[in-house]
Amino acid sequence: MKMNTKYIFIALLLSLSLNFSWAQAPKGSVLIKNGTVLTVTNGTLENTDVLVENGIIKQIGQNLSAPSGVMTVDATGKYVMPGIIDAHSHIALDVVNEATSPIVAEVRMKDVVNPYEIGIYRALAGGVTISHAMHGSANVVGGQNATLKHRWGMNNPTDIIMQDAPRTIKFALGENPTRVHGRGNGQQPRTRMGVEAILRNGFNEAIQYKKAWADYNQAKSQKGNTAVAPEYNERLQTLADILDGKIIIHCHSYRADEIYMLINVARDFGIKKLVFQHTNEGFKVAPEIAEYTMGASVFADWWAYKFEVYYSTAFNAAILHQNGAITSINSDSAELIRHLYHEAAKTQRYGGLTDDEALAMITINPAKQLGIEDKVGSLEEGKQGDVVIFEGHPLSSYAIPQMTFVDGIKYFDIKEDSDDQRQRISPTETVEPILLSEENHRCMQDTEHLFETASALFQMNQ
Amino acid sequence: MRKTLWKASLFGLFLMGLSSGITVHAQSDPTGKKSITNTYAITNATVHTSPGMEGKKASILIKNGVILGVGENLSIPAEAQIIEGDSLHAYAGFIDAASRGGITKPEDPERPKDFVYSSPPDEIAGITPWRSAVDQFDIESSQVNDLRKAGFTLAHILPDGGMIAGKGALVLFGEKESTNVLKENTSLSANLNGARGMYPGTTVGVMAKFRDVYQNTKLTKDRMALFASANGITRPEINPTFMAMSEVVDSAIPVFFEVEDDLEARRAISLQKELGFQLVLYGLEEYESIIDLLKESGAGVILKLQIPDDKAIKNQKEDVSESVKAQYQRVKEAYDKTIAQAGKLAAAGVPFSFSTIGAKANDSMKALQTMIEAGLSEKDALAALTTNAANALGIGRMAGTIENGKLANLVLSTGPIFDSESQIKHVVVDGKIFDYEVKAKKKNGNGETASAEVTGNWDYTSETPAGSSGGTISIQKNGNGYEGTITYDDPSGSGKATSSLSEISVSGSSLSFAFEVNAGGMSISVDVSGDVSGNTMDGSMNIAQFGSFPISATRNPN
Repeated sequence: MKMNTKYIFIALLLSLSLNFSWAQAPKGSVLIKNGTVLTVTNGTLENTDVLVENGIIKQIGQNLSAPSGVMTVDATGKYVMPGIIDAHSHIALDVVNEATSPIVAEVRMKDVVNPYEIGIYRALAGGVTISHAMHGSANVVGGQNATLKHRWGMNNPTDIIMQDAPRTIKFALGENPTRVHGRGNGQQPRTRMGVEAILRNGFNEAIQYKKAWADYNQAKSQKGNTAVAPEYNERLQTLADILDGKIIIHCHSYRADEIYMLINVARDFGIKKLVFQHTNEGFKVAPEIAEYTMGASVFADWWAYKFEVYYSTAFNAAILHQNGAITSINSDSAELIRHLYHEAAKTQRYGGLTDDEALAMITINPAKQLGIEDKVGSLEEGKQGDVVIFEGHPLSSYAIPQMTFVDGIKYFDIKEDSDDQRQRISPTETVEPILLSEENHRCMQDTEHLFETASALFQMNQ
Repeated sequence: MRKTLWKASLFGLFLMGLSSGITVHAQSDPTGKKSITNTYAITNATVHTSPGMEGKKASILIKNGVILGVGENLSIPAEAQIIEGDSLHAYAGFIDAASRGGITKPEDPERPKDFVYSSPPDEIAGITPWRSAVDQFDIESSQVNDLRKAGFTLAHILPDGGMIAGKGALVLFGEKESTNVLKENTSLSANLNGARGMYPGTTVGVMAKFRDVYQNTKLTKDRMALFASANGITRPEINPTFMAMSEVVDSAIPVFFEVEDDLEARRAISLQKELGFQLVLYGLEEYESIIDLLKESGAGVILKLQIPDDKAIKNQKEDVSESVKAQYQRVKEAYDKTIAQAGKLAAAGVPFSFSTIGAKANDSMKALQTMIEAGLSEKDALAALTTNAANALGIGRMAGTIENGKLANLVLSTGPIFDSESQIKHVVVDGKIFDYEVKAKKKNGNGETASAEVTGNWDYTSETPAGSSGGTISIQKNGNGYEGTITYDDPSGSGKATSSLSEISVSGSSLSFAFEVNAGGMSISVDVSGDVSGNTMDGSMNIAQFGSFPISATRNPN
């Protein structure tokens, strides 16, 4: 009975949309019984239980019993895997691009996180518990990103930001920054060479900025000081923090030459924390990516949407992985994020990766690239209780996520959740009928009369 | 001689007509504007001295803009002009805690030849902390008239502009002969809106730039202090932005941050916590989820004096699927939640006041009545309009209540102020009386309000700052309601454009309707309300954000 009251209490809180802000992110407890547990880092465990207590995976084993007050979920015949992590997303952001300068390192996506965006719930419905909410790719150096935990129902943005994740920042090479700044506004960079120049100039300025403040701070304490404080510049300070290894670069890139260029820039400036995003021609420089960087985050099979994305292969992820590069598969899309497990399965069709290797692409590998692999990304005791229960193996075409937990709290349940999960409704909204696939039916337009007989017969038999 | 006298008295009558009777003008004044007395007595009115106090019969004596006495047995000096208040209720004049009444945005400066979008000059990027609302204020604006008519006597005007628009000021909505300035340099006005096509272009850039401006103002102050105290110091770079921001950094004036909802409010509060300035949030429309945060943050709270349009709810259909019904229900719940917020905020003990920015002045009483129906107490509503605003603006000593020694700012209404039947008859600002026509409700024999006949084709003219314009309004019966169209000068070219009328409503002799004008891809909504008398209609046309303008129409017999 006690256990039920606690569960009811939590359920009530969730259904009430949590009308107060939490001092700390909410944590819960759950025992998931008798599932096929896909740990990702420690193989597959049949008929195994996963116990999450107070947000942390306490125990993985057989015949575990629930401590008093902890709810139990029967996962017999189902698959239990770590929460999916999307290393490249723009959901839950009110602003994506501050496109107005080639370097905007000072802007913080954490300032514009929107916990009400329905995309968070949709991602949960696809088993995604963590997304990397990135600045856009209009600038050579974009803003600082936010790593989000999909705690649906919060109203304080702070409560969906993964506070223990390290800082990351967006970089972008190639056509996007050169189009926005060079062709669009007649400013550097207009070419890939310009992009490199922006980066090198930026880092050199940051070195000078850091030195100016160090000199000032030293002089300030001396007697008879005549030194005046340098200008405050968070843009250069952020670049200096990158040089000091405090921030992981996530760089939008397509072509092999520009990827190799950034590796060289990073090596020249002693930068080690670097992940490539998209990395369409990563397969051409896979050994270099493996040796010098934290890997590549790629699309499974999405290309040819602009000139620099023509030289492509669906084997990209597998080639990168086989060369030893940490490789993840991302969505960059509020739609793809709902079925990243399908995207990961494509590495088996194109490259023959094992189940664990394919699942690593959407769990432990993106966790490594976000610097959170000690906390999430696999089912291991001591890690955070981000867990998804699937009907069908997640790499099967028939897989359907059933429940998604973040820190031991259930935020998605395919059976119990109400249809309308929106948190915010405008009091002035005109409700319009939602017509799915209206456009798709054009090819059958004006043929409806042909189906009338068949339809009538069908209804008669019901 | 006789003829001259005759002429003079006619002229006098003419003037009387113009000035609606009460203020008698001295004829020795060549402008004819000077009033013969500055002493007024409002006798035997039901006086509500402060929020929560029951109205008591009393008289109010005013002289030279100050309340000299409130009570039952006041001795009224001979020079006092009497306003018989027997049927009137008196309240302290309303205060608009964040207003753009009478404010016109200055034109953007031209971009320099060497303009670089990634580092534009502050003035072009919307960073103009040195600007003053007083320079943008015009007491003769129609917005001021509308606000005054709605009972607002004093306003904290904020400049219109970009992310750091400039300094606010306290003004009275008094006579045009005065500057009406009570206090300048009262606040810094800020918002989260980016500049167009340059840095900072979005909220995320604005927040970064705000930090930058704030921190560099601090550093500039330190450099200036060092420069003043010793030799051998590099000259600090002084610019108008840092100079004008220094009072903010010193917490001498608060930052008034325009925020619409909880997320924007949280953004402003996070900047405040990080940097440490004094914060007032204004323009709030959606804040239920942050009532506790508002309380604990200590930030000032100014709500937008508006309720959501219930047009969408009224247009909800009967014959719909269950899922659409469920969605309808959620919209209704959202509406109910929105109008109940003010009551909840008051119940949580957060003192708040109101801003009319972006709201329609003549709908303000309706908005208040709706909030009161949804749980806000009349006491808290009145406090928001008077004492809370006065205290938040630091003028509690001189405004907000009807007391000896306070500014003579009053609202006199025909009944308790929040009654839907009550109308404002006089507004006293700075000791000057403004009179408003009180419309009698026409009743038919059954005690129900008889509706005027409004169908037909009406030729109308309207006076706007852009000149006189006109067209045809056509109204027909449609079932129990009405439908119609209006023609007007096409704003995006020559000739006439036509829009269909919506929300046509007739109540007693008053007719109101709305329509949408498409001006260069932007839809502007226009509300018209007027009084029908036979074949003529007189009223006002309210254009969102621009104010209201007189309109008159005659029915075309054809």
